[in-house]
Amino acid sequence: MMLEIKNLWKKFGKFHALNGLDLTIPEGSLYGFVGPNGAGKTTTIKIMTGLLSADCGQVLIRGTDVTRGLNDLKLSIGYVPDFFGVYDNLRVNEYMEFFASCYGLDGLKARNRYMTLLEQVGLEDKVNFYVDSLSRGMKQRLCLARALIHDPLLLVLDEPASGLDPRTRFEFKEILKELKDQGKTIFISSHVLSELSELCTDIGIIDQGKMVLGGSMEEILHRVNATNPLIIAVLGNKERALSILKSQPCVQTIAVKDQDIRVNFIGDEQDEALLLQQLVDAEVLIRGFYREQGSLETLFMQITDHDKEKAVLVHENEPGL
Amino acid sequence: MKTNPVYKREITVSSRSFRLALILVLFNSILALVVLLNMYSVVEQVKMTAEIQYSSFINIYVFVAVVEFVMLMFIMPALTAASVSGERERQTLDLLLTTTMKPWEIIWGKLMASFGTMFLMVMSSFPLLSVSFVYGGVTASDIFILLLCYLAVALLCGSMGICFSSIFKRSTIATVVSYGVLVMIAAGTYAINIFALSIARLNVVNTYASSVSGIADQANSGSFLYLLLLNPVATFYVMINTQAGDNQVLKSLNNWFGPHPQNGIMDHWVVLSIFIQLVLAAIFLFIAVKAISPSNGKRMKNTK
Repeated sequence: MMLEIKNLWKKFGKFHALNGLDLTIPEGSLYGFVGPNGAGKTTTIKIMTGLLSADCGQVLIRGTDVTRGLNDLKLSIGYVPDFFGVYDNLRVNEYMEFFASCYGLDGLKARNRYMTLLEQVGLEDKVNFYVDSLSRGMKQRLCLARALIHDPLLLVLDEPASGLDPRTRFEFKEILKELKDQGKTIFISSHVLSELSELCTDIGIIDQGKMVLGGSMEEILHRVNATNPLIIAVLGNKERALSILKSQPCVQTIAVKDQDIRVNFIGDEQDEALLLQQLVDAEVLIRGFYREQGSLETLFMQITDHDKEKAVLVHENEPGL
Repeated sequence: MKTNPVYKREITVSSRSFRLALILVLFNSILALVVLLNMYSVVEQVKMTAEIQYSSFINIYVFVAVVEFVMLMFIMPALTAASVSGERERQTLDLLLTTTMKPWEIIWGKLMASFGTMFLMVMSSFPLLSVSFVYGGVTASDIFILLLCYLAVALLCGSMGICFSSIFKRSTIATVVSYGVLVMIAAGTYAINIFALSIARLNVVNTYASSVSGIADQANSGSFLYLLLLNPVATFYVMINTQAGDNQVLKSLNNWFGPHPQNGIMDHWVVLSIFIQLVLAAIFLFIAVKAISPSNGKRMKNTK
């Protein structure tokens, strides 16, 4: 594991920002970290980057506890905040040189390193430009290059796409994919769930200072889909199809809309296959047979809806999550 | 030796700015005006009385030194009060703290950068100060002690500015508080002594015996005088009076706050007060480092 957070607690006055947070980021993953406002995302990031101390808990990087050695933590993590954090009165090369020297890199070594990074983020032709003359997208890319200057193991990005136009977002996403392909582990906190589901390999949902759901994106989306209704598009013999469905123990509810039958089906993939075979054997003409596709947004809304807290708790206790 | 990155960046940025050039021009223009007016008055006096008083040329040195001191005292907080809060406003402090730089290195870099500016101002004013060398009367050791005094005041005012800049998020508040505390140290300790002296005089005058023997003049501000050890203005006053006057610390202070007994503190007033001000500056810097340290020295517990 690249990073493990165990039983992290943080209190601000009487407010518990983190309530025993556990988080695991696999090596080489692109980890999406989501949660509603005030869930404890920024507090977690600040503790991860050494900007805040936790009241209790452990932060392990590749199995080594870094809570007592902040220097190790800082060398392992590159941080891109949700603001640019640039010195407008410096040139791009001076800005990079400055942060390189903050990590103890000087001279030719530093120059070679930042030139490679600027090339990677597409700013090699802006080396002598003043930072304030760069566009928002360029500043964001410069920030990314800055965070990579010490070649960290883990890159932490807090709302990296906020305030960027769609094209710049796309370009930024491509750079992140490229970095992932190069073996970097990337941790992104974002509200743009559609982007995260496209980009991330793993995801963690935090709410009220606790991790409510975490795992690989594939596993989670599969889980979401498994709880969604089964859609059966029938062209003929609808009555026969309905009578077969009513006789099935896995079928909970049936709703008919035009040619589509929506079935709340609690069986697994094998049960689904058997049902399909039964329908086909009964000469029901079937045009479509599929689970309604779930999204990260619907899952997020379900989990963070505190009116349905009871339902969330049941969901949380289900095995495999 | 490796250059502090914060110092290097600050120097790069300030050397490019119009602000530094403006400060230098204004600083030296004021000093030049003081020197020229002083020389003009001395020359006019010679014309009128046909008598050359060489001792009056020492006034040029005193005038330049005083003006330079006052300007340094008021420029240093302005140079430093926005240093850390400015980083906060630009949101770059968090980025600096996520690097391997230690909080004390950031504070040290900031202090050194403002010292660099101060050093530039003092050095650029040397030609004006050296006008007094033409007539003699000022020794190399005098200049050395003067520089030491400047260093102490710059360190005290600079560290104070950095301290409040680290504590307060807004540069404006940090600047106001820095000047407020500076005025409190400079004028407050003086006011306390004046108040203590007037109370003492009142008590002495009220007694019959004193009014008969006329010992009301013997009243002094008591132990409050030692509060002035914190005051860089008092240090400078004693130092410059000693250099330009009759080499008596006691006389300088007694003129203001009544006769005080001669003791070890009085004998080594300048050195002692510079030492105390340096300690005070160190305390301010320590507070600044603590204020920007992310963990504030706390360590995480592993279990709960």
